[in-house]
Amino acid sequence: MDRVSELLQELKTIARNPRKSIETTLKNSGKKGVGCFPVYAPEELIYAADAIPIGMWGGPTKGNLSDRYLQTFCCSVMKANTEQALLKQYDLLSAVIMTTFCDTLKCVMENWKAASPQLKIIPIVYPQNRKASSGIEFFKEELMRVKGELEEILKCSVEDHRIQESIDLYDRYRRAMGRFVKEMNNFPITFDAVTRHLVIKASYFMDKKDYLQKVEELLGILQNRSPESSSGKKKVILSGLMSEPEELLHLFDENGFQVVADDLAHESRQFRESGPEEGDWQTRMAQRVAQQDGCAFLYDQEKTRGAGLLRMKEYYKADAVVLIQMKFCDPEEFDYPILKEELASERVPLLYLEIEQQMDSLEQLRTRIQSFSEMLA
Amino acid sequence: MYLGIDIGSSSSKAVVIDCDGRIKGSSVVNVGTGSKGPKKVLENVLNLSNVRLEEIEKTVVTGYGRMTYQGADKQITEISCHAKGVIYLVANACTIIDVGGQDAKVIRLNQWGGVENFVMNDKCAAGTGRFLEVMARVLDCSVDDLSLLAKKGSYGVQISSTCTVFAESEMISQLASGKSIEDIALGAHRSIAQRIVGLANRIGISKEVVMTGGVALNQSVVDAIEIEIGLPVVRLENPQVVGALGAALFARELA
Repeated sequence: MDRVSELLQELKTIARNPRKSIETTLKNSGKKGVGCFPVYAPEELIYAADAIPIGMWGGPTKGNLSDRYLQTFCCSVMKANTEQALLKQYDLLSAVIMTTFCDTLKCVMENWKAASPQLKIIPIVYPQNRKASSGIEFFKEELMRVKGELEEILKCSVEDHRIQESIDLYDRYRRAMGRFVKEMNNFPITFDAVTRHLVIKASYFMDKKDYLQKVEELLGILQNRSPESSSGKKKVILSGLMSEPEELLHLFDENGFQVVADDLAHESRQFRESGPEEGDWQTRMAQRVAQQDGCAFLYDQEKTRGAGLLRMKEYYKADAVVLIQMKFCDPEEFDYPILKEELASERVPLLYLEIEQQMDSLEQLRTRIQSFSEMLA
Repeated sequence: MYLGIDIGSSSSKAVVIDCDGRIKGSSVVNVGTGSKGPKKVLENVLNLSNVRLEEIEKTVVTGYGRMTYQGADKQITEISCHAKGVIYLVANACTIIDVGGQDAKVIRLNQWGGVENFVMNDKCAAGTGRFLEVMARVLDCSVDDLSLLAKKGSYGVQISSTCTVFAESEMISQLASGKSIEDIALGAHRSIAQRIVGLANRIGISKEVVMTGGVALNQSVVDAIEIEIGLPVVRLENPQVVGALGAALFARELA
């Protein structure tokens, strides 16, 4: 097995076994773990507090414990997270940062506090008017509060220079990921849809420094390799909250698609925007959030997501866009009619898929994806 | 000779064509994937066509059960196959409404007869043949009788198109309040039509509109759809086998 295969295998194993991977990361690093609810969390603060930010993006967990707290129309990510919390799967975390990006998240926080009192919940509110100076000031204060709560729970003092170093590391990670996802396109056989997803996902369960090291090593090797042929593959851009379960991505591979870029909250939206390199840490973090556009979870008055997808389509010479709608994810649903119209006006083929994380049968999705492939042929 | 087999959720269909595309025989068996339907429909269509299996040059399988059928040269989705079959029969078709036992699909065709866009129902029985089966059970009649009852209805009570389970309880309430069975049956057909048209509106409807699938045999549903969309719907002689015909036409292209 060559070094690339070895690294990819390692990252895929990490992504496929979150619980074990988190335990290993915490044990090897000797650090504490802090859970981060979707979509964004101030991971730089957690890392600066000498803890590991852990992504909490649901999973295939099924059960009915969460039914005591959640309506049937809550998204499957929230259901899986709540189920796992009630099963005490998150007890290895020292704290959980809960965000308020959707109505479900806003409402469920107090339930979590009551249902899982052993978990230390730190709420954070990202500003609606994140570009306005008042919004930036609000978010800076919010970051200060979160920092204070982290210090109290983790029993540490987070100095400013540590946060600056952490932001530098995260920005390095973001830039490296930007190069990495582009480089993957030169290797459509090595980086099929499943591998591409898992390699990105692994970062949620690792120390960012270790993950970055592996990504930079992969980049170094790949940049000196001859590209693989992508002849006959249909190039698509995935957009939406996330592209799980893994079997969904198998269907893209089976039907001859190459994922050339993504606009997924779980993947590229996490790293496509770097913040300013200068300024105090609060400003750097708040400005980065202010700068990021084209995300359903960050209020965008100008509705630039469609234009962004059209630019991506042009840049990556993609054949089509696939919108993966997590069932009951309202913020993503609100964007859909706008996107649909904008893409249709430019005659960009669009496939709309509705998913849940815990799907028993993917046969309907198979027909949709295969039909789309036949349609583009 | 070329064979197309369409294995649906509740029926199996097959068509044999010759090298000029002429239909030599077709068959429908009212059991679908996971049953003896595919085997039975193959036997039937070969008998009806007076063709031996060895004479079949190529076979294409489509439908929900296409992934598990052994013995085909290729599997193609029912969306592509319905488009192929419809264009063969109605050259200027633009919109296909295909409603089967568990699925509803609307396909928009481009000027060359290819698939330009499509939509499918999600995991829900509303807007599919299953909806009519449930409604017929409540009224203690067959689906065919339900259609005949609807023809006699004049008023058409309001029944939910959102959910089959809700619709069932609404129907029982309407019966309890003394509404006539004919008006309730008409309401049920309007309900399924509204659901299907709601799906179709997501990609737009334009002439000629052709309806395929088992539910297209139900004239009350087709009538209700025509009223909802304000356009005539082309009624095919044998709408159930259009997917299988498309598969057979694809099989001919493989040769």
